[in-house]
Amino acid sequence: MATPVCVIGAGAGFAGDRVDPAVVLAASGVDAVVLECLAERTLVPAIRARRDNPQAGFDPRIGRRLRALLPVAHQNGCRIVSNFGAANPAAAAQYIARLAREMGISGLRVAAVVGDDVADRQPQINWVRDPGAPLLGAHVYLGCNPLADALAQGADVVVTGRVADSALFSAVARDRLAPSQDALAGAIGVGHLLECGGQLTGGNYEPIAGAGAPPPLTAEEYARLGYPLARVMADGSAEIGLPPGTPGIVDPLTCTLQLLYEVHDPSYYATPDLVVDFSGVRFERLGDNRVRMSGVKSKGPPPTLKVAGFVDRPGFIMDCEITLAGAGARSRAEVMAQALRLRLSDWADDDVVVDRVGAGSVLRALSQPLRGEVPEMRVHVSARCADAEQAQIIEDEVYAMTLSGPAGGASVRSEKRPRIEVLDGFIAPQHVEPQLLWSTS
Amino acid sequence: MRVGDIAAGRAGDKGDMLDLTLVARDQPAYEQLREALTPERLQPLLNRVVPGPVQRYELPGLRALKFVMPQALPGGVYAALHPGLHWQKAAIWLLLDLSLESDAQGLRLVTPQEAQ
Repeated sequence: MATPVCVIGAGAGFAGDRVDPAVVLAASGVDAVVLECLAERTLVPAIRARRDNPQAGFDPRIGRRLRALLPVAHQNGCRIVSNFGAANPAAAAQYIARLAREMGISGLRVAAVVGDDVADRQPQINWVRDPGAPLLGAHVYLGCNPLADALAQGADVVVTGRVADSALFSAVARDRLAPSQDALAGAIGVGHLLECGGQLTGGNYEPIAGAGAPPPLTAEEYARLGYPLARVMADGSAEIGLPPGTPGIVDPLTCTLQLLYEVHDPSYYATPDLVVDFSGVRFERLGDNRVRMSGVKSKGPPPTLKVAGFVDRPGFIMDCEITLAGAGARSRAEVMAQALRLRLSDWADDDVVVDRVGAGSVLRALSQPLRGEVPEMRVHVSARCADAEQAQIIEDEVYAMTLSGPAGGASVRSEKRPRIEVLDGFIAPQHVEPQLLWSTS
Repeated sequence: MRVGDIAAGRAGDKGDMLDLTLVARDQPAYEQLREALTPERLQPLLNRVVPGPVQRYELPGLRALKFVMPQALPGGVYAALHPGLHWQKAAIWLLLDLSLESDAQGLRLVTPQEAQ
């Protein structure tokens, strides 16, 4: 069997992901744990926080994650690479160095990758459509090079803001790969495969029933799900697996689902370092929860880098819900839904939707049909509101059903959320200048 | 036969785009799905729930079909008027719960409501 040039674990797949899988990976002896913690919109609250306080704007969960992970990673010589710097990687690096000191870990070298914030370069950005309002922020997707440079210069922790998720992984492999674009493309493919953590190892996955299919995971297994690791070879191929002793499902089917996840054209997946082609990828079962991945090809560097811009639209989306329970709950819910729509008759169909949760509120016209009585049902109103007063009207109308609607309206809850729009733009690579800032514990 | 009896799937999103991936359990299932799930047949059904055109990518080496709807989620998943956030994670059942039926007129796609 070929010897890997590095072993990379995926310890988190979104900002709120579990803390413990990364600790298990670090203890298993991987070279680096990557924590992917920054969705497009996760940046918005971070940008707002930094505006109010120049020392804020990084993921507030860093402390909780690193108090658990740092001691194990430090003891095992495992690097940590994460985009949990969000809108302020420089402040995050200082915070991490301070945290390490408090924990008695000295000499920890933390590199912040800055330069993804391109809000001051708007003349150089081509937006797909006119933003139409002042931008809350603009962040370019950086590639793996500044991260790999930081690791080459001895960083124990690399903390970034907006970078391509796959670059968090390919950065760990870059200097150990054969010098070819296809090898780097392979490492980018590995990163894409691993970036959602447990979604590669049996999470959000229903096996096809029938002979040869793995049994569905049990509650205990979902609760303890192992997160994936990749043994990356010099040619960019990799062996995908789980840390020893952790439950999960890694087979060609789970790998294929994740390879194609959120990819538009599988033969032209543009990342900041290379455009990659997944159409010739092969997954080969090597054993229990061990799959070999090969065949990712490079189509050369992309002409431009992608920028995510954020526009704050006025108003809110209001979500409000109420429960009917007991005999006849279904028909009382139907009547209440109709009554609510009548109360909101001056709202356009585009701006308000009344659903019955339990009767096709998710898949709607293509839902399974509802048969028979149900013990309870929720009536839900979603509305696009021009301002806070309109949002209050929605909540008030739902509450008024407890006095003036069908019997037993109960358990009301509501949530008002801002209307943030993400706008894609493109910028030429020469206008982007990433830099490293160092902190030491 | 229900699509979900012969394929596994996953839904994702990016901006306004909804993407639906099906992986067939074997080669005959892949051929069957490739023949049945044409964009022309799917679009009118999917448009009962989400708007816009359907593009299809075929990946025979992976026994996978990828369906991309670039305008399905106007304003992105946070702008959707659906109960709670991220309804699109369940959108793969828009495909998994369709059934393939052949009759005198040829192959048809049947929705869960029509299957009754």
